[in-house]
Amino acid sequence: MKRRQFILAAASLTAATTLPGCSSGSSSSGGGGDVTLQMVESLTNPTRSEVLKKLLAEFESANPGIKVQLVSPPTEQADQKIQQMLQAGSGADVLEVRDLTVGPFSNNGWLYDMTADVEKWDGFANLTPQAQKYSKHTDGKTYFIPYGFYGLSLFYRTDLIKEAGFSAPPTNWDELLTQASKIQDPSKNRYGYAFRGGKNGNGNVVACIEAYVGDTIDRENAFKTKDGKSIFVAPEAQQAVDTYFQLFTKASPPSSVAWGYPEMVEGFNNGSTAFLLQDPEVIATINASKSITKDQWNTAPLLTGPSGKASQPVATAGWGVAKSSKNTEAAVKLVEFLSGDASTTFAKENSLVPILKTAGADEFYKTGPWASYVTMTEQPDTYLTVVQPRGVAWWTEWSTKADNDVQQVLINKMSTAELLKSWDEFWVKKWNG
Amino acid sequence: MSVTDHHSKKKPFTIRKGLSLLGFLAPAVVVVAVFTYYPLLRGSQMAFRQWNLFDLRNTPWVGFSNFATLLSNPTFYTVLKNSVIWVVGSIVPQLLIGFGLALLLRRRFRFRGIYQALVFFPWAVSGFLIGILFRWMFNGEFGVINDLLRKTGLIETNIAWLATPKTAMFAVIVANVWYGVTFFAIMILAALQSVPEELLEAGAIDGAGKVRTLFQIVIPFIRTTLLLTVLLRVIWVFNFPEIIYGMTGGGPAQQTHIVTSWMINFTQQGDYGVASALGLIVVAVLIIFTSFYLMALKERDAR
Amino acid sequence: MINRQSLPVKVIRVALLTLWMLITLFPLYWILVTSFKDPGSIAAFPLRYLPQPWSIENYTSLFSKSSFGVYMGNSLLVSLCAAAAGTLISLLSAYVLARFEFRAKGALLLAFLVTQMIPAFIALGPLYVMMVNLNLVDRKGGLALLYIAMCIPFCTIMLRGFFENVPDALEEAAMVDGCSRLSALFRIIVPVMTPGIMAAFIFNFVNCWNELFLSVTLMNSDSNKTIPTALNGFISSFNIEWGPMAAASVLTIIPTMVMFALASRWIVEGLTSGAVKG
Repeated sequence: MKRRQFILAAASLTAATTLPGCSSGSSSSGGGGDVTLQMVESLTNPTRSEVLKKLLAEFESANPGIKVQLVSPPTEQADQKIQQMLQAGSGADVLEVRDLTVGPFSNNGWLYDMTADVEKWDGFANLTPQAQKYSKHTDGKTYFIPYGFYGLSLFYRTDLIKEAGFSAPPTNWDELLTQASKIQDPSKNRYGYAFRGGKNGNGNVVACIEAYVGDTIDRENAFKTKDGKSIFVAPEAQQAVDTYFQLFTKASPPSSVAWGYPEMVEGFNNGSTAFLLQDPEVIATINASKSITKDQWNTAPLLTGPSGKASQPVATAGWGVAKSSKNTEAAVKLVEFLSGDASTTFAKENSLVPILKTAGADEFYKTGPWASYVTMTEQPDTYLTVVQPRGVAWWTEWSTKADNDVQQVLINKMSTAELLKSWDEFWVKKWNG
Repeated sequence: MSVTDHHSKKKPFTIRKGLSLLGFLAPAVVVVAVFTYYPLLRGSQMAFRQWNLFDLRNTPWVGFSNFATLLSNPTFYTVLKNSVIWVVGSIVPQLLIGFGLALLLRRRFRFRGIYQALVFFPWAVSGFLIGILFRWMFNGEFGVINDLLRKTGLIETNIAWLATPKTAMFAVIVANVWYGVTFFAIMILAALQSVPEELLEAGAIDGAGKVRTLFQIVIPFIRTTLLLTVLLRVIWVFNFPEIIYGMTGGGPAQQTHIVTSWMINFTQQGDYGVASALGLIVVAVLIIFTSFYLMALKERDAR
Repeated sequence: MINRQSLPVKVIRVALLTLWMLITLFPLYWILVTSFKDPGSIAAFPLRYLPQPWSIENYTSLFSKSSFGVYMGNSLLVSLCAAAAGTLISLLSAYVLARFEFRAKGALLLAFLVTQMIPAFIALGPLYVMMVNLNLVDRKGGLALLYIAMCIPFCTIMLRGFFENVPDALEEAAMVDGCSRLSALFRIIVPVMTPGIMAAFIFNFVNCWNELFLSVTLMNSDSNKTIPTALNGFISSFNIEWGPMAAASVLTIIPTMVMFALASRWIVEGLTSGAVKG
């Protein structure tokens, strides 16, 4: 009798540990002699994954013997998964590296240095100067090649500003405040500005400050002025934040204290909000809206400060190779493929500023909402491109702190002067180590 | 540990019996030890090391300095207080509604099966989905909750639910109550089935009112299930950041952060050392709570 | 409690049940309506309480653009296997923990409780390395194994509670009759405990069905994805795809609702009256 009990217990354990009925074979095995690359994306979205799959199919047919398996974890969890793969040294050959992650990943020795490969690659010369610049990390090595760039522009409602009696969209922050305040009418569910008070709400505050200090900003470290101090102690900074937070009190929906990107985009998308400061990725989303038609909206260049200048904080991401990859050669080949003509397809489908020189001549980028990006590129002295210290170890810590402070100001628990003071202290302390 | 010892006849042991009981326990113990405890203990060492994503080649042991960092941070005490509000504010209504629902469902009625399937469904929704769904419904301008309240004349102007600390806390708790009633309802309903009909009949014959029957017969009988359910829920809700993370991200101005949602901030900052230290503090707090809880129960049993 | 209810009591009862149903169902209704709106008009403002026009595009795109059917199959397979195995293993351990006194018992129970207290991310890194070494990454069996481990502690604690409600005179009698302990357990106690066991199984199933982090960590290929991963995939850094996500949520909720319907029948009626009389 007792033996039977043992056997049953043992059997259930075996069942648990092997579960023959439940396991199906691994899928990572490629057919005889073939190389299978695992490619992991980070800023995943369903449409983008589809585009990538098409491009990968092209790559596979051009390179018989190489197969690529695309791993598409949800965006929120992706970077953590990538970290685990890199740390375990297993699972990733090609991966999406972001300006936010290249610092830690390279510092931990997880990324393969492509410098030598890039020197041999003729495609490198076709990249825009910006793309070439961003493909080099601060230590001079190439850990990833950008696939495109993000940058802000002002989305605005052509019909609403006309109704309110303005002939042209705002060009600077003051005009934005005037126009948005005039349009705002909560009783009619009409709001001026899609304010970002929630996650990453600090980004637009900083963009505003950077415009106000346009004359003195250090373009290689956009959190500093040329005299080496932080931009937050510059006299113009106070003026900037005061204008910026007036946008909230006079021209934004009251609940925008908690708005993140989905609410902002939705607010513009459903026709209730007149202005939205966002990345070009939003263009595709708004194009799909049925609440506003294409002739009801457009984009305008980024807003300038009193100096007449605006600072465009560039954000980017690209493709890199894991050091633990056993198929480095094939992996590099794939990165080069994705940074060639394929990159323009990718940038167009995902509404990104492209990396190839030839793409600028494309009709697609000259018309409609993209025209303001061309304007900004053509006037580099007005629209400065600046480098934010997004690669520093404390960037996320900063972002969390700054978002919190922005909300403190919004719920009247902190003054704008205190905000600037604490931001200055934060950065000075970090810079002094 | 034992919650109830009213089964007085615990049997003496023989070696053979001991072995066979070991066989019963072995599968559970082995699986949990290998796939839960081993990685947990491996991971816990991060709490005592400098373990930052930005430099994982250099992870020296730092003793309790990660814990000290946390204890000297004023936000720590805010999130601790918020955790208590969150747990008590969520569990009390969950228990009361869940109990009520179980009692109402005990009696047979037409369409009861369908009714149960319908009202139990919130438990089938994942925390993250509840978070973004309720965030959307509680949106001040475009949310359906304000729209309904205005249409029914309960409010005249929109409430910016997630924009002030108090209303935001209220909103996340509403979402959590909505989600958690099911668990109590099912557990209590299942437990009620074990209450012998005769006991109830006897109570009725005694002329005891419904309320008295409930408190003097039903509740004592299902006490173990009830108390364990509450204990489990306290532990889970304390450790349940998904709704808060999705709805408010801990805002505005960190006023709705609980310990575990605050911990997500540290993992996102790559500071796994501090995050794990916070995780271990959570465990310590919960172990202390559990011990007191179980001790208090034992004392009541002994009386 | 078995005597007839008076009319006012009945009215209050029905009113309460209806009220709670409305509160519970409203979010479901909202997801359902959203899933049938065509993608461009989901954002429409003022709000529309019914889709106009009705559209099934969100559902069709779910199957044409992604392998949602495959994800559902994976989730179903892994969750069912894990929940069943987890419940069975827990039944054995809960029995021992409920019926016998031994020295390590308190420690064991505490050890199970502690697993419920520890945030999962602490274990995720070492766990991944272990699964790589065991060659269980990107395998449904591997995921099921982790889910079993996830189910056991909670399920054991819960079942132990239900064992306590069943008088042990029951299996004593059976064992005197010559049954082995195991057959006494399965022939005599399990039938009496069906409501509790079903409840445990359902909770195991739902926990596995909704589990996200382990699944994201372990699974790579599209053919091994589970539903929570796919659902989360609709949230990207610049957009939430409400339409397909609502449709996917509706489809995700249906199987669990069916489970609840079937199970609650068991939970409330599984017990043959009198079996407990002892």
